[in-house]
Amino acid sequence: MTVKDLEKEGYDQSMVHRAALELQENGLADYEEEEEITRVLTEKGKEVIEEGSPEHRLVKRLEPGPEKISELEDLDLDVALGKARQKGWVEIDSGEVGLTGKGEENLENDPIKRRLESENFDEELFDRGLVEEKSSRKRKVKLTGEGKSLTEEEIEEDFNVEARVKTPRTGKKHFYKEIIDYANRTWRDLGFREMDGEFIVPGLLNFDALYIPQDHPAREMQDTFFMEQPEKSSLSSYQEEVQNVKETHEDGWETGSTGWNYGWSEGEAERNVLRTHTTSASARKLAELEEEDLPAKFYTTSRVFRNETVDRHHLAEFFQSDGIVVGKNLSFRNLKGYISEFFERMGFNEFRLVPTYYPYTEMSAEVHVWDEKGEEWIALGGSGMFRPEVVEPLLGFEATVLAWGLGIPRIAMRAAELDDIRELYRNDTDILERTPAWRPENGGER
Amino acid sequence: MSHIKINKKEFDDLVGEEVNEEVLREKASFLGAHWNHVEGPKWDVEVYPDRPDLLSVEGLARAYRGFLEVETGREQYEISAGDIEVEVDTSVESVRPYIGGAVVRNLELTERAINGLVQLQEKLHESMGRRRDKLAIGLHDLSRIEPPFTYRAVKPGKVSFRPLEHDREMQLGEILEEHEKGKEYAWILDDEEVYPIIEDRDGKVLSFPPIINNQLTEVDTGTRDIFIDVTGKDLATVKRALNILVTAIAERGGEIENVKVDGEEMPDLEPETRELEQGYFERVSGLDLEVPEVVERLEMMKLGARETMDAIEVDIPAYRNDIMHQYDLVEDVVIAHGYENVEPEMPEIDQIGEESPLENRTRLLRDVLQGTGALETHTYILSNREKLFDRMELQEEEIAEMSNALTEDYSAVRNWLLPSLMEILQRNRHRSYPQKFFEVADVVELDDSETGASNRRKLAYVHSSSDVDYNNARQILQVLERDLGVELEVRSSGADCFKDGRSADIYLGNEKIGSIGEISRSVLDSWELDTPVAGFELDVEKLVGLY
Repeated sequence: MTVKDLEKEGYDQSMVHRAALELQENGLADYEEEEEITRVLTEKGKEVIEEGSPEHRLVKRLEPGPEKISELEDLDLDVALGKARQKGWVEIDSGEVGLTGKGEENLENDPIKRRLESENFDEELFDRGLVEEKSSRKRKVKLTGEGKSLTEEEIEEDFNVEARVKTPRTGKKHFYKEIIDYANRTWRDLGFREMDGEFIVPGLLNFDALYIPQDHPAREMQDTFFMEQPEKSSLSSYQEEVQNVKETHEDGWETGSTGWNYGWSEGEAERNVLRTHTTSASARKLAELEEEDLPAKFYTTSRVFRNETVDRHHLAEFFQSDGIVVGKNLSFRNLKGYISEFFERMGFNEFRLVPTYYPYTEMSAEVHVWDEKGEEWIALGGSGMFRPEVVEPLLGFEATVLAWGLGIPRIAMRAAELDDIRELYRNDTDILERTPAWRPENGGER
Repeated sequence: MSHIKINKKEFDDLVGEEVNEEVLREKASFLGAHWNHVEGPKWDVEVYPDRPDLLSVEGLARAYRGFLEVETGREQYEISAGDIEVEVDTSVESVRPYIGGAVVRNLELTERAINGLVQLQEKLHESMGRRRDKLAIGLHDLSRIEPPFTYRAVKPGKVSFRPLEHDREMQLGEILEEHEKGKEYAWILDDEEVYPIIEDRDGKVLSFPPIINNQLTEVDTGTRDIFIDVTGKDLATVKRALNILVTAIAERGGEIENVKVDGEEMPDLEPETRELEQGYFERVSGLDLEVPEVVERLEMMKLGARETMDAIEVDIPAYRNDIMHQYDLVEDVVIAHGYENVEPEMPEIDQIGEESPLENRTRLLRDVLQGTGALETHTYILSNREKLFDRMELQEEEIAEMSNALTEDYSAVRNWLLPSLMEILQRNRHRSYPQKFFEVADVVELDDSETGASNRRKLAYVHSSSDVDYNNARQILQVLERDLGVELEVRSSGADCFKDGRSADIYLGNEKIGSIGEISRSVLDSWELDTPVAGFELDVEKLVGLY
């Protein structure tokens, strides 16, 4: 029997090895090894199967039209350009790369990927490091005459309680969701109430109510998903807020601000987007609150969306965990107090606030935590106090709003020891099973 | 966010003393600009969009002179009266209505200083200028041209000049079609019948804003006097950009001279005065600082500050673009004080923590499903029509879709959950079987709410192994019935992605809340799966009575 065969019957590999060695030492079995060479995909090879070869990705990218070389730097440009030119798929003209006729013909044909998929491995695939040879040793365990003659009683006597056995497969929660559960429990322990929020929201809640002007690059830039269906929201239940927001953008309204000084368009605020931050849920909550509800604290942990090219560092959607505290007499010191408490409970004992910029907060700060392992500060969240231009139009009166949040992906990657953010959504059974149950120590200092 | 490259030696010269590298690495970020060492004297500084005045080594040095307490308080710039005029013709009103101008004289610019100014110009174009649409800047060697200047709009074929980076004279239309910069920024002039130009007394073209300047006026190390033009679509932005440029260049020791633009003297470097109430400051910051201490911190931020009766009068330099409210002044004081020097303090707010009912029930369902031996998945809500309909062999219908998705992969929002689990089975088809997965997560359904769509919580379960059948899914459904204490009714149906005779609808009372079955062979094929799959999907809000 091979070790593989035994494994199928439920014997763990390391256990088989140890048992075989033990049998050999006692002269009960012979243990033979032979070398076997197999050809397997490298990480790069797997990437080509998932995403296509660099040269073909370049061809697909250029399908809408030529692009400047400098715009293409997110691709593996040296390889992509070199190979695509070699194949006669693209040509370079005054700094711009465009498709040739041959390139057009090959839009749906990626020979490298095809050869990898069909395991038709040739020299080129080896040279490009997409395939490699792996030698593995085949081990055979054969009982000797003495071994065959053992009786059941003799075996029972030698039962080894110290040997490891195979770990069974069980049901298990996803490590990402365990972190979310933990963050949510932390908010509740601190007395916060959960708030709901929709993924599709009018620009009003995602941008305008947060004092982001209508010509702000973030709105038109590619990182916001605009909806084609449903294209627009009715703002009829926000009539008062719409009026306040309009005046605040135009001349500051009653907030004491200069405003942005432009003509605000309600049509622009009606356009639906996939929310880019959970702050849109905070804006909706503020619009609902009455003066007698204060002080109050709310949290939400949910999905946000960015229209970005997905790669090992970027995702088009991820979870943010955000909290707000609304009150009449809250200060920056209080914000720092809450952040200290919250992050400590999430496993981070040392933190610092570094000034940053968000359009909707003043005293805006990134939250950095100290990573003992890497011996560096890492940015894990954002925080700030909502500007009067955000608070007053939504509430209708003066108050202070403290806000801070935590991005879940980075903690999850640390917990599962991943270096490619896409793995968070791949649900590879191996990673799901081997990642330990989450506790603050996994994400924080270990 | 913009990144600018600067030379540390030059920065030190402008600050007036050598700044320790450790200070740049650690303390400097606490002004709100982040410093990263590149190599040798080269540093990369990240500047936020609210502080375009920091987009040059000159602007950074000015700010750090205050922050590092080399020289605090508002910087004073002298303006001498000049006699250069810019006439604005009404023809520009429809295409690019505003222009600002200024002169800086007696400069001695190194190659590096000129590159720095070009960098500042480009970064202002990108950020404040919204890629030159809202504002565009031109720098000209004044000795090559004869004032007065005229800003007017002309037909594309009427005028020609030799643009930068080209060897021959070109007409404006030609520039848009053939010149690299013309092609890049032609979109700003789309649909315009006339194009703006700035010309001198003799009709020599200085610039074709917002596209390109004349080679003739290019600034080099021999340039002593510079004429700056800023054109755009918003007067306040044009003036602000002009102030940022003029004061940055003046940091080099030049003399600012004003220009009359349609009779108005520019640049206007008079500060704007705002009040900061001490009580307001204390309430918002939570800091217990005396008035003189607040004044001192404002001056560290290069603001002018004077104590009055119960407030502080603050003079805001004409290059600052971010002070809209006294709230912004509070931030400047706290930044100068140092975020790290603020003592944390928890307020007393009595409130009991509370989970939303839907999240509460979701946790319960996840516990039950985990107990059945299945692995929980975590999948994208973004999807596409191919996965949601084609591969599941479903009739296409209207779903939530995006208009500007970068890739087809993420171009729609899923309206059901099962396809996400099919994708996970596909990914794991090389792993060992049996495989059991579940997820309780959101989808989006179109409806008649104000937005036109709402989140809906769904539960899906799949089981895949060589000997799996309908009953394996049915068992788990019964576990849910048992643990939730509900009775579900299962009615045979002929359905879509499921095998004929092995599919059913799930009812709670008279309402359909989901479906269950064995996935059909052709659907398995479209997910490249050999091993059979059985599963179900349920509407959670209906299942737990929250709908």
